Amino acid sequence: MIVFEHVGKRYGGRSEALADINFRVGRGEMLFLTGHSGAGKSSLLRLIMRLEKPSRGRVLVAGHDLDRFHLSQIPYYRRQIGVVFQDHQLLFDRSVFANVALPLEIQGVEPREAARRVRAALDKVGLLYRETALPIELSSGERQRIGIARAVVNKPSLLLADEPTGNLDPQLSTDIMRLFEDFNRIGTTVMVASHDLALITRLRHRVLRLREGRLVGDEEAA
Amino acid sequence: MTRRTTSSESQRPARRGARASQVGLESRTRAWLRHHRAMWLDSAQRLAKRPLSSLLTMLAIAIALVLPSGLWLALDSARLLDAELDESATVTVYLDTRLDERAAMDVAARLRDQTPVAGARLVTAAEGLAEFQQGVGLEDALASLEDNPLPAAVVVTPADTDPDSVRVLASNLEAVDGVDEARVDLAWLERLRRLAELGQRLALALAGLFGLGVLLVVGNTIRLAVESRRQEIEVVTLIGATHAFVRRPFLYSGAWYGLGGGVLAIVLLVLGGHWLSAPVTALAESYGAHFTLPRLGFGGSVLLCFCSTLLGWLGAWLAVGRHLADIKPR
Repeated sequence: MIVFEHVGKRYGGRSEALADINFRVGRGEMLFLTGHSGAGKSSLLRLIMRLEKPSRGRVLVAGHDLDRFHLSQIPYYRRQIGVVFQDHQLLFDRSVFANVALPLEIQGVEPREAARRVRAALDKVGLLYRETALPIELSSGERQRIGIARAVVNKPSLLLADEPTGNLDPQLSTDIMRLFEDFNRIGTTVMVASHDLALITRLRHRVLRLREGRLVGDEEAA
Repeated sequence: MTRRTTSSESQRPARRGARASQVGLESRTRAWLRHHRAMWLDSAQRLAKRPLSSLLTMLAIAIALVLPSGLWLALDSARLLDAELDESATVTVYLDTRLDERAAMDVAARLRDQTPVAGARLVTAAEGLAEFQQGVGLEDALASLEDNPLPAAVVVTPADTDPDSVRVLASNLEAVDGVDEARVDLAWLERLRRLAELGQRLALALAGLFGLGVLLVVGNTIRLAVESRRQEIEVVTLIGATHAFVRRPFLYSGAWYGLGGGVLAIVLLVLGGHWLSAPVTALAESYGAHFTLPRLGFGGSVLLCFCSTLLGWLGAWLAVGRHLADIKPR
């Protein structure tokens, strides 16, 4: 699903954010990406989302060389990836329902079909009863789950999460991770960046360790 | 939180989802139209939510539009006046004073046969005297004269009112037997034409400048709108929105601003026309001319609204294009 070949990334004249990264992720795998803040986790995810191009090497996702994408193709590529952000990135001027519906609106899904899928996604994260609420009325755990619902509403084959439990207490964090495991169980490839080592160790999935932009560990699921 | 049964159920929608992504042209067009309709409404609602600032922007656009279009209207009326004046671009041919009335009529007939003459009207010496008396109010002084000092004259209307050809015609007419002098006074007509041409160029230059002004007004407003919706733009870009999708609501906003400005400009023009029409008519009447301020009319109004909407759209397009490039998802 994801292939990194000798990938390096340098921002401006500063030292390398990523250096000579090599790994492969199979279809339907679930793995964690860990390391201290500044180790390059976010940079790596940004490369997969094609927010940036690598300075060196190649990134392939689902068989596509991301470097070869024409600028106009990138939006269509991104629609195949679900992304969960640490700060959930919900829009506060619209309801929970409208937030989750956003990816479908962008893809031009017919409204009735969209409503059905939005409700299915909200049901999955256990927040169907909150569909008319505004994000401001939700707790941070609920917001994060809405963010997840939005990421999965169009059934992406790849789900990326950048510190999805960063602001949550341990119990909520575990709930969120269980949710990711559920999506993984139905065939979605899931990649979660997190520095919550205790949690990661407990969950027993493959772990990629980054340190100062280098891949220093690739431990298979125990 | 999630029941295990749902996982096997959602595998099917997953496959259906893959098929749905290969949507046909028809459903894609429908989605496109749906989004256009939604953004058309959404942008109007956003404008309506802040009525005062929207109105101020539209007013700024309207003022920028009123000046060039008002000048254009004035020139249009000048053209009407010009057409009226063309008819008075005549050559006055003074005949030899020794000719009697019959001979004068012969000469007039010969002049009429000349090309390119559209018409020739004989003013006999007696008629000329009567006109002169009326016009100048020297009845007593002229009555004391024994002889009529005025020659008979033929007022020739040229077929071609171009100043040069009128001049050529005058010199040709002078060569006719029995003609003393052909006089043509074109200087004032030429001056008027030059003035009209100057006015036209001025109107065009103003239209260009103020059109640019409209672009800047709309551009600046849209820039602020883009800035205030930065987070939204970042998010939709992250989840796969195309540039066209992001741009659309702003383009509609720009078009709305333009349309509103155009409508306000028409209102201003109508009000201004009413306000000016009385003194203008009075002024024209004092010159013995019949002249009313021209109105924009239905066609003109539609054209003005179309142009202003287009300008608004274009301003938004330029602004969004420039500022979207700055917005990169973090």
